[in-house]
Amino acid sequence: MIRLSPKLSQKLSYILLFMATILAIVPVLVIMFLIVKNGASAISWEFLTSMPKDGMRSGGILPAIVGTFAIVMCAVVITLPIGVCAAIYLNEYAKDNFLTRVIKLAIVNLAGIPSVVYGLFGLGIFVMFFKLGVSIIAGALTLSIMELPVIITTSRNALNSVPKSFREASLSLGVSRWQTIRHIVLPNALPGILTGTILSIARISGETAPILFTAAAFYVPHLPKSIFDQVMALPYHLYIISTQIPNMPKNIIYGTALVLMMMVLSISFVAIFARVYFRKHRKW
Amino acid sequence: MVNKIEVKNLSCFYNKKCVLDSLSINVVKNEILSVIGPANSGKTTFLRTLNRMSDLDVSFSRMGEVFLDGENIFNVNMESLRRRVGMLFAMPIPLPMSVYDNIVYAPKRLGLINKKSDIDALVEQSLKDASLWNDVKDRLHTSAMKMSGGQQQRLCIARILAINPEVILFDEPCSGLDPVSTAKVEESMLELKQKYTIVLVTNNVKQASRVSDRTAFFLMGKLIEVDKTGELFVSPKEKQTEGYITGRFG
Repeated sequence: MIRLSPKLSQKLSYILLFMATILAIVPVLVIMFLIVKNGASAISWEFLTSMPKDGMRSGGILPAIVGTFAIVMCAVVITLPIGVCAAIYLNEYAKDNFLTRVIKLAIVNLAGIPSVVYGLFGLGIFVMFFKLGVSIIAGALTLSIMELPVIITTSRNALNSVPKSFREASLSLGVSRWQTIRHIVLPNALPGILTGTILSIARISGETAPILFTAAAFYVPHLPKSIFDQVMALPYHLYIISTQIPNMPKNIIYGTALVLMMMVLSISFVAIFARVYFRKHRKW
Repeated sequence: MVNKIEVKNLSCFYNKKCVLDSLSINVVKNEILSVIGPANSGKTTFLRTLNRMSDLDVSFSRMGEVFLDGENIFNVNMESLRRRVGMLFAMPIPLPMSVYDNIVYAPKRLGLINKKSDIDALVEQSLKDASLWNDVKDRLHTSAMKMSGGQQQRLCIARILAINPEVILFDEPCSGLDPVSTAKVEESMLELKQKYTIVLVTNNVKQASRVSDRTAFFLMGKLIEVDKTGELFVSPKEKQTEGYITGRFG
């Protein structure tokens, strides 16, 4: 065995760790660069606000933007309250017995199921059994089921990070368990819960498989009027125009990808700002 | 002498391991009873059972009875018990909010108070009673987390006083404090004794001798001896007590 001097090994490990970090960032930067370079020319006000024309080879992508936005928002509205409530139950109330261990195990495993399986499940349950049809609500419900484990896990971590001593102090003053959760635990866990929501919004905005059979349409000539309408969605639209339509102008494909990317990023930024705000105002 | 608390054959277990063995002891109204003893003697368990904080731990189980004014505390609702039996922890735990909100937090949740003027008066009175008012009257709305350890601990006392309990349990309240802050906390204990009944668990034998009316010595989950503080420190009846208070072990 060669023994390296502490100085040398320190330098080597620093370089190794630094290179690993660079390696992780480079592909992301390259992807962003390519998309912006090739897609920026397609972006215009008209591109964002008009319907596709000419077999989607020109015109805008408004219905896909609206569709994705509708599905994701519906999914978040469904997931967040259920997920947070479940997390509160599991973290604050549930006793450590066989049943809760099974539930926790199931939640962890749900996160590992391939997304296309969720898509097929959604097709069977929401589209066909509950007769919701291919619609925003069916897609949102499918995405919700997929996102629940993530929201529950991150919310639980957020709740767990609130020091136990705060709960004890509150309980020792005769304040009930629920009031303690409501006034001490939840406010202090909110930044972490928000982070979980950011991640899940970013993740589900780009998901294609779960909405493939449950919400997305190849082409819809009008904007959705209710949550029971079928919609176009950005990821699916991107898939179609890059593989199914001949003679598709490159800049529209990249432009669509750019819009999807910016949409995800801007949603994330809103939540990140909120998180920074909460962090700054956190008192412990 | 009226007994405020009567403990009868109380045994406590964590994961079936006995940490307190058939304890019987009384706490007299308006006295300071201090509990001394080495680590693992069951002092804190005893204290946390008096306001049923220990019942929050799933691995905890108990036998026996504890009466507060003749009423078995294990038959009353935990929240209303804790309203009557306040607790000060070893480390000061201000809630992550302003000084003002720390005081107001519990009375508001418990619905003791509504009017803004009443609330202000309650905050002032509680802080005065905990001799903290002069330190913080100009920064009531700054975070309680920014205060010194001693101030935080007195804030925690003020917070308890705001719900006007009958008994206050002190769990090694000065273990993290410097001598000056300790003196202040002890001073407030002696004042509080006029209105409240106090049980003080302490690792500091001298503290017990300074403030308490009676002292109980616990060892390995058993009550070895309880007597007037003067008697116990001058002429302990048990060898083990003598050994502990003279510093030969523990």
